[in-house]
Amino acid sequence: MKKLFAVARWEYMEKIKSKAFLFSLFLTPIIMVAVSVIPALLASQADTESKTIGIIDLSGQVVSPLSKLLEERFKLPTGAPNYLLRSFTIDTSKNAQTVARHEADSLALAEMIEGYLIIGKNFMGDSSFEYRSPNVGNVKLMENLRSVLQDFLLSQRLIARGLDPHLAKDLSGTVDLKTIKLSKSGEQESGFSQVFFTAYIFMMMMFILIMTSGQLLVRSMLEEKSNRVVEILLSSCSANDLMGGKIIGLSGLGITQLLFWVLIGFVITVKLSIALLSLPLMLLILLYIILGYLLYAAIFIAIGSPVSTEQEAQQITSYLVMILIVPIALAFSVAQSPNSTLVRVLSYIPLFSPSFMIMRIPNQLPSVPEIIITLLLIAASVIGMMWIAGKIFRTTILSYGKRPGLREMIALIRSA
Amino acid sequence: MSVKRGEILGLLGPNGAGKTTTIRTILNIIQPDSGSIMFDGKEFSDAVRNRIGYLPEERGLYRKSTTINSILYFASLRGVAVQEGRRRAYDLLRRFDLLEYYNRKVEELSKGNQQKVQFINAVIHEPDLIILDEPFSGLDPINQIVLNDILMEMKRNGRAIIFSTHQMDQAEKLCDTICLIDRGRVILDGDLAAVRRKYGKESMQLGFVGNGEFLKELPGIRSVYLYENYAELVLTDGSSSSMVLNEIAGRSDIFELKKFELAQPSLNAIFLDLVGARHPQEGRD
Repeated sequence: MKKLFAVARWEYMEKIKSKAFLFSLFLTPIIMVAVSVIPALLASQADTESKTIGIIDLSGQVVSPLSKLLEERFKLPTGAPNYLLRSFTIDTSKNAQTVARHEADSLALAEMIEGYLIIGKNFMGDSSFEYRSPNVGNVKLMENLRSVLQDFLLSQRLIARGLDPHLAKDLSGTVDLKTIKLSKSGEQESGFSQVFFTAYIFMMMMFILIMTSGQLLVRSMLEEKSNRVVEILLSSCSANDLMGGKIIGLSGLGITQLLFWVLIGFVITVKLSIALLSLPLMLLILLYIILGYLLYAAIFIAIGSPVSTEQEAQQITSYLVMILIVPIALAFSVAQSPNSTLVRVLSYIPLFSPSFMIMRIPNQLPSVPEIIITLLLIAASVIGMMWIAGKIFRTTILSYGKRPGLREMIALIRSA
Repeated sequence: MSVKRGEILGLLGPNGAGKTTTIRTILNIIQPDSGSIMFDGKEFSDAVRNRIGYLPEERGLYRKSTTINSILYFASLRGVAVQEGRRRAYDLLRRFDLLEYYNRKVEELSKGNQQKVQFINAVIHEPDLIILDEPFSGLDPINQIVLNDILMEMKRNGRAIIFSTHQMDQAEKLCDTICLIDRGRVILDGDLAAVRRKYGKESMQLGFVGNGEFLKELPGIRSVYLYENYAELVLTDGSSSSMVLNEIAGRSDIFELKKFELAQPSLNAIFLDLVGARHPQEGRD
């Protein structure tokens, strides 16, 4: 036991000082913030000058009311209109439309106008419009055009039926639907997104913990193998002390990282989840996280200890990431129907069990037998996997060169 | 094989003979298929681990860690308290003239210095049994003497040392007993002097200038180990050195004898003779 802690202490103290660790500690939150904030900032940035949009109005009745509507609704911070319409004249000649289009095309390509709208003769009937532009990726512009056209069409139709166009505004209006989460301890106002993100954050925490510590585990085994320190280690402590010490030391590292991030970045979100979850539920989630982590740690060791090159190590981590991604990919549908048969069945598979249960607990607490059975199943597979990992670790940590195949591995587990 | 306190055992053998495997088995890193390993008459246990020190042939250290931290880690793994470990580390680093690297990263050290740190790692817990795999390789003559002194001192303090090497002259200078293995089997073991007596033949050791090729053709000689300006001739029973000397005198045009010694065969000759005979296809000349 003493040696196990000596190993744990060493792994923790040496790795926490390493540049790679400090780098990821500070850089990951920065990248996360950058990835989530910068695109939003860019998208929501207001235009600084008016944009001209061409219009070919085949019906001949749209240009002036539409431009009025656009001017009213979208203004630049300076007060000037955000969008200006430029109409292309259509004479009565036979190929007038082609000529107008030609002109509009060349202006659009020369970036004199953003693009142009074509209003069909029968737009009142078929509600269809066409926007042509060299850049159709400007989501904000598209959205604005669509909403203006929608309102324009609505008011035109009301007028056509002899109704007041302002009626539309009075009669429609956004609905305010409050959602109250019911649970045995009482009711609570909380939205779907709040529940979803709480669960999602816990799942991401487990994911990060597994990825960080798991990778460190494989790395550290690989390092000791390639510099042959492992022989000295195994002559001074048992393989189990070495393995256990590594798991404890490196998960300590993962937890440190997690706590640090919680402190600097996730304060708000954790506050949110505390509001939503009682302490026992938090502890239950924590139990799932720890068991899930231990299961994956054992898997990392089992398939990581025969590895003798960096490349193989990378391969292995990417396989495990794929397994771990499954629950994350399914997160949204789990949140929507936490009690569907598929989700229930998947909850019993130890590899997925922790993630799915973590997703389900904030949504709708699974039944007590379900919780007990899944916990027992994961605990049993943790013990089983650790046992297998121990055998593989003991026998392959000294092997260099070719990685044993599946059949050799099974023979090895049987014989050891 | 066995090694007593205050004794240095040379574990010898050609490449692939099973020296490292033997050592790993002693260290309980791998389990023997048959046979057993006893320490003071008892089976291996966790307590025994703290009494063994090991310097593997393939050198390895934590490159990114500081010298003192890595030494203290190995000390703590063998149950040495931090303060005591620090004190011993300081002493050993001073003896090996490494104090300036106390707080430096291991990767900044030269290869020879890294090797000295590794040796310190192996003996920091003052083990009763020390197993060294090629401890002298990579050390300059000065450090070889330092290491030699430390080994002699440990021997005087009643520690048992197993010393694995290919270098027969090293073994000859250091070892009290030897154990020669080949293909996993012991082919010769016992007290070094007794082994040489048992091997029994007379050996002529010649220092010369010139072309010694003709020595291989001489009659009455069991085996010839010819080097650029040194040769060792193991005589067959019944042949005498004076016969050989006569032959040499007749070749004074191409061969000038500088030094001549009649002795028991060197460990090197014994090794080559025994192992060479077991590997005839690999040849000796």
